[in-house]
Amino acid sequence: MVTRERVEAVLERVRPFMQADGGDIQLLDVMGNCARIRLTGMCVGCPSAHMTLHLGVESALRDEMPDFDTLHIN
Amino acid sequence: MTPNLPISSDTVVVGCSAKIRAVFDFLRVISGSESTVLITGESGTGKEVIATLIHQASKRKYRPFVAVSCALFSETLIESELFGHERGAFTGAVKDRPGRFEMAEGGTIFLDDIDDVPLGMQVKLLRVLQNRTIERLGGTRTIPVSVRVLAGTKRDLKQMVAEGKFREDLYYRLNVLPLTLPPLRDRREDIPVLMQAFLERFFRSRGEQPPAIAPVVTQAFMRYDWPGNVRELENACERIAQMCTCGTVRIGCVAATLLFRAGTRPPEAVVPAAPSAHLPVRISMDDRVRELEANLIRWALKASNGNKSKAAELLQVKRSTLGDRIKHCGLELDHHAAASGDAAA
Repeated sequence: MVTRERVEAVLERVRPFMQADGGDIQLLDVMGNCARIRLTGMCVGCPSAHMTLHLGVESALRDEMPDFDTLHIN
Repeated sequence: MTPNLPISSDTVVVGCSAKIRAVFDFLRVISGSESTVLITGESGTGKEVIATLIHQASKRKYRPFVAVSCALFSETLIESELFGHERGAFTGAVKDRPGRFEMAEGGTIFLDDIDDVPLGMQVKLLRVLQNRTIERLGGTRTIPVSVRVLAGTKRDLKQMVAEGKFREDLYYRLNVLPLTLPPLRDRREDIPVLMQAFLERFFRSRGEQPPAIAPVVTQAFMRYDWPGNVRELENACERIAQMCTCGTVRIGCVAATLLFRAGTRPPEAVVPAAPSAHLPVRISMDDRVRELEANLIRWALKASNGNKSKAAELLQVKRSTLGDRIKHCGLELDHHAAASGDAAA
């Protein structure tokens, strides 16, 4: 089951690092087995960071919730 | 001929932790030696680097250094690889071929992954080490060799001897000068030094100035366990140098998998290391300990969403002890402020 709480718990593992670098990772909503997040901070414009985080967060969510489908980034 | 190797004591990056300094002090002691060295260390801790340095510090430094991984060959191939073969020794042996021992004549041979040598081959290796002579596969001549032997292993050979997987006599032959390389997670204080050096090297090789490194990146690197040790750290730095688009190493440059793993570890390593033994500055041990304690408690409270009983469980202390420690570290106000702040938000 993909729930807001479980997605938040995964994001919370990387959030302190992002915040310490002046950024953040926000959970906008959870729809079915998908989630939508927003990244803020200095790394937002960097294509490498975008890809790394997108894939990294998505695979961490799947590790935690095998039925997790897609992560959207706004 | 000067040694034409990419590694030298000037270019190698080591760090300054007590553990790695002990290794280098030992290297200095044995630099004049001709004896066999058994280098034990996890993958990526730098066994071959150390072997190269041992060779370069020795009297044999102008002669060949031959490194060979024993894990690469099957039982019959390894014999021909190490000792060579004569023409016609086996199908496909169309001409005489010297082995690695002969190629290393006068110099040093580094037998890496020695634990992977099959038992049958171990006897032959033992004979070579004892008699300092080899016989090529299919040959009848006994060829004397003057080769210094260094061996490397990821596994604990002594343990393998106990399990009957490694010959005891060969173990004692190899284990004349034992050298153990510490895993990177056991010398976390070296991580900032190493990452800075690697990043500088990779950025310069791209023709760019060495970058500024955001402190949180260093913290994340120090909390990660580095199962692939220095090799993994070096690769992570190369990755950053290739992918960074803004010239500053920030948290977005770091592989997300690394961040996730680092995030599961309590931030104990973030506490600054003790000053170097060469700097007799005064530091307050009480303050340092309180700092460490406060860090751990903050982490546990966060990890348990402020639930003190759960936090106490994570820290393996009694609930009442945790309460005392929170007061002792002055975290009480901190914690309440955070909680009321959350409520207001």
